Amino acid sequence: MEVITQNVVYFIVVLAIMVLLFVWAYLTGRMQKEFTTMTWVLIPVAIAINLTIGQIVLVLKLPVYLDSIGTVLVGVICGPWAGALTGALSNIIAGIILDPGWFPWFPVAAVIGATAGVMANIGYFKNWWKVVVTGFIIAVAATIVGTPISILIFGGISASGSSIITAFLLETGRSLMTAVLTTNFIAEPVDKIATSLLAFAILDGLSARYLTRFPRGENAAVEKGQQQVQLIIALVVVALLILFGIYVLPSITSG
Amino acid sequence: MSLNRSFFVPIDSPLHRLNPLTKLTFVFAMIISAFLSVPDMAPALAVLVLLTGFIGKVQRQYRTVLLKLILPAILFMFVMQSVFLPGGETILIQVGRFDVARENVRAAFLTVSRVFVMVSSFAILLLTTHPSKLMADLTRRGLPPQLAYVIISTLQILPQMQAKAQTILSAQRSRGLDTESTFLKRVRAIVPLVGPLVFGSLVEVEERAIAIEARGFTSPRAKTFLYEVPDTRADRLIRWTLVIFTLLSLAARIWLS
Repeated sequence: MEVITQNVVYFIVVLAIMVLLFVWAYLTGRMQKEFTTMTWVLIPVAIAINLTIGQIVLVLKLPVYLDSIGTVLVGVICGPWAGALTGALSNIIAGIILDPGWFPWFPVAAVIGATAGVMANIGYFKNWWKVVVTGFIIAVAATIVGTPISILIFGGISASGSSIITAFLLETGRSLMTAVLTTNFIAEPVDKIATSLLAFAILDGLSARYLTRFPRGENAAVEKGQQQVQLIIALVVVALLILFGIYVLPSITSG
Repeated sequence: MSLNRSFFVPIDSPLHRLNPLTKLTFVFAMIISAFLSVPDMAPALAVLVLLTGFIGKVQRQYRTVLLKLILPAILFMFVMQSVFLPGGETILIQVGRFDVARENVRAAFLTVSRVFVMVSSFAILLLTTHPSKLMADLTRRGLPPQLAYVIISTLQILPQMQAKAQTILSAQRSRGLDTESTFLKRVRAIVPLVGPLVFGSLVEVEERAIAIEARGFTSPRAKTFLYEVPDTRADRLIRWTLVIFTLLSLAARIWLS
């Protein structure tokens, strides 16, 4: 019961921050600027891309979902609010046609789109090592939002394959919160980094003339740089991520 | 890899005739009461939702959804949670190092019946309501028409895109693309499958934007509706009953704990 009360407080704080952000973006007109006709037409296509690619990946039997490429695309070239809306509606559509069990996960999808948008706005979608960082940040955000939903609604062990990891961790004596957080931290980064890289490859292939028709097309303008410098930076980033995984995570999650 | 476009069953029944908002209110009343009211409420609501399928004459299709989607997920969750949740004192069964405690079985049962209420009440809404009717009614009540456009348009684009994906998959396979052997080859197969699909559909976006712009998509004036969705006095009565029921179930939680 204690975990639940703690989570409710956490949820209310997050909800309050979201509402404040929403009001701020609405009053300053930032939100309205993202929703042009091009955005409204791109969103259905992006949702269809999410679901269709999700199924192609099932055919290939790879250990990733890649079901938010469209969401990341909209987040980058239209803005965080449009990305959040795409993610949320994507889960609602999946709930309508695939399985109503998708509905409760819509905040996670929304956060994926919003994070992609924010990272792109500060220039972190312009070359591939930055995209790897963005993918990792998206995974962290998805974990932070997904864990309370998993615990509050599905009791920590939902009907997905990664629940086996949660069960294993619980059996080795971890608390429920730790087990779910760790499971998400294992499963999410690979998927979200791959998603971001694919979205980047797609944006790279689109013409600049096409991209400028969207509210934030300039976010996707590829930065030219030395290949070797990029490679070195990428290696450093990967090393930092691994260090983060080994040293920082256990101390955060063991609370 | 084909999808049905929606769960909707096109027949006539008292549930089909209800206003979509009434059914949506039912869904949220059930979910809020199941999750936030006293624990004993959830199993009772599960039975209630199960019986509602009969009023809508969709019990046959509902059974299919139940057997294919809901029950496998729920059984998996129930067994896993009973065995693996930490804590619990009264041990019921013990096999090797795995034990099942009564407290955990009870917690798992509660979670599972809540998830059941949530998923099946949505399933009943979707079985008895066509998505475009739901969107039409919500738009009439003030939902931004752009949102309705997104949902309806996605439902129309999806089957086309799936057909396209199937074509691309067959075409690339006939050119010798390896989609079944080693892990690395399957990873490499992503780009030739995803690329043509995504670029092809993104090109259409610009044309479609011009087309709907020319039809007054962004016009701020009030829009008229092609379909009239009836909203009777019985609908309003049911909605208010559901709202009062939800408030009472929340009050029960506060008083009884």
